[in-house]
Amino acid sequence: MGMVAVEVKNLVKVFDRIKAVDGLSFCVEEGEIYGLVGPNGAGKTTTLRIIATLLSPTSGEVKIFGIDASKKPEKIRELISYLPEEADAYKNLTGVEYLRFMAKLCSRNPAETEEMVERGISISGLGERLNDKIKTYSKGMKRRLLIARALMTLPKLAILDEPTSGLDVIYSFQVRDTIKSFVREYGITVLLSSHNMLEVEYLCNRIGLLSRGRIVAEGPPDELKASYNASNLEEVFMRVSNND
Amino acid sequence: MIKGLKTITSKEIKELVRDPRIILGITVAPLIMFLIMGYAMQGIFTQVEKSVEQIGLGVLNLDEGNLGESLIENLTKLGVDVIELKSANESDIVQQMKKYNLTTLLIIPENFSENTQSHKGIIKMYAVYEGSVTESAKTGKISTIIEQIKRMWSPDPFTVSENSIVKGKIIPVSPSILSGLVMSQNITIPIVIAIITLLSMQLAATSIATEKEEKTLETLLSLPINRFSILVGKLFGSVFVAMIGAVAYLVGFNYYMGSFNAPGAGYVELSEIGLTPAPAGYILIGISLFVTLLFALSLAIIASAFTEDVRSAQALVGYFYPIIFIPMFLLMYTDMSMLSLPVRIAVFAIPFSQPVLAVRYATSGDYLIAIAGIIYVSFLTIVILYIASRFFATEKILTAKLALKRMRR
Repeated sequence: MGMVAVEVKNLVKVFDRIKAVDGLSFCVEEGEIYGLVGPNGAGKTTTLRIIATLLSPTSGEVKIFGIDASKKPEKIRELISYLPEEADAYKNLTGVEYLRFMAKLCSRNPAETEEMVERGISISGLGERLNDKIKTYSKGMKRRLLIARALMTLPKLAILDEPTSGLDVIYSFQVRDTIKSFVREYGITVLLSSHNMLEVEYLCNRIGLLSRGRIVAEGPPDELKASYNASNLEEVFMRVSNND
Repeated sequence: MIKGLKTITSKEIKELVRDPRIILGITVAPLIMFLIMGYAMQGIFTQVEKSVEQIGLGVLNLDEGNLGESLIENLTKLGVDVIELKSANESDIVQQMKKYNLTTLLIIPENFSENTQSHKGIIKMYAVYEGSVTESAKTGKISTIIEQIKRMWSPDPFTVSENSIVKGKIIPVSPSILSGLVMSQNITIPIVIAIITLLSMQLAATSIATEKEEKTLETLLSLPINRFSILVGKLFGSVFVAMIGAVAYLVGFNYYMGSFNAPGAGYVELSEIGLTPAPAGYILIGISLFVTLLFALSLAIIASAFTEDVRSAQALVGYFYPIIFIPMFLLMYTDMSMLSLPVRIAVFAIPFSQPVLAVRYATSGDYLIAIAGIIYVSFLTIVILYIASRFFATEKILTAKLALKRMRR
């Protein structure tokens, strides 16, 4: 573990009097897989969108590898890769065309583009189907393509909002496996959100339990289970929320 | 009744009626449109009526008998302000008319009395044609008065041979036929331009809405690219399509103009008598249409950034209908010279009038006004793009839809 990849301090985001994020603070170390876990409406997506420079905070501070996200969003966009929840891809492009389109927008030269596309092809595991139009893909195939898109650029920080959202057991397993092996191979940092406790237990080095816009408990899954004397993270979460 | 039909119909109605943007777009827009148009048309008719109250008619009486004199007396009795030309020569009609500031001239030939007695009399009428509604109203009024006199004398004692003077040239075609031809152009051209504008706006409006609906916009906005290039890239994509539209329009327009010839008085092509634009004029019309489409597309793209899905984006374009159609309808039935100064400024200020005006000005050779219009619309487009780029740089591009949602509640 080296430098701090993500540093969030007293983050607040208000949408028309509704506090989506309410004084949130946490840190993610470089090379770590960190999971923001919580029920719907806890503020996970808003937090990730702020970190991905899509929204600006109402107050508080977000630093990515020491760079202030509000002051230099364009610098941050060079370091990150963001996968929105339930994102879609351009239906009339083929899988490869989509990867190449995205790679061109992220790379500095044609050689780098091709490198990214090759990596994307391999991460997606979609083989020949990559030559078909995206509108013919199943939900699971689309999600794998999008994960491949997010990881192929070798971002310093990958922000994945509900990476297995809407996927069945088999596809979810494959996607989690892809993320885990990719992080092991390239040492990138991953910040993900999920309401699937099983997923975060399998994937994350550390998690932050989020409720009503703030972290209510934080730590490695095993430690959390031990300290709350729970057999799984769901139990931890229920106990923490009841205390909250 | 087919099973489920009633349920589906009522759900559709609920969904459409509950979206204020859709219901306002289809009710308020046409109401405003017709109110403003009705007001404008009223003004135009009053002006036309006023212009025909006092008709000045030049008469060159060469008749050796007395029926010529009698005709002039009758004309005066029926309220025509006759200006008799004594020394004019039939060969320099155009100069004479200019000298006495006449728009209509009657020539009663030498043997008029003699021929009229055997029902073979002919008088020649010359009317300056510049394409305005008042001119044709004036010649129409004179023709009616002459018909009245003919009926008073005896059935068909003489005929009137009508000629038009277009840009200083005498054309042996009645001004009413010419104005009919020009009027049909005046109606068709604005309609075609309005359709092209609306189609391309619909197309562009969906481009950002689709990205929002399919959640691809968030991904794009998080990439290390200049956000302005997303906006301009989308614009250029639509412009490409709009350009195809503009070219198709020009080809069709050219063919359409070539297809006009005046029936009755032999074969007359509008292009031969100077009532179609010269090649330079066509280029100006093309550029004017192109910059106006560019403006329309920028407007549609920016407006669509405020919507969350494709249907609302398309409904939003409905709000632009009045400002597209009002100047088009106005220009169908009138020309700028007939409008009062404030209305004239308003029509010129609406960018959608420009391609229609460009056709008029290119035909009449007033290239400078057409160019001024092009510069004006280009300037507006730059302003809109600048505002849009500021908008794209903030989170509003994603959260603007939230604001609208709240408004709806």
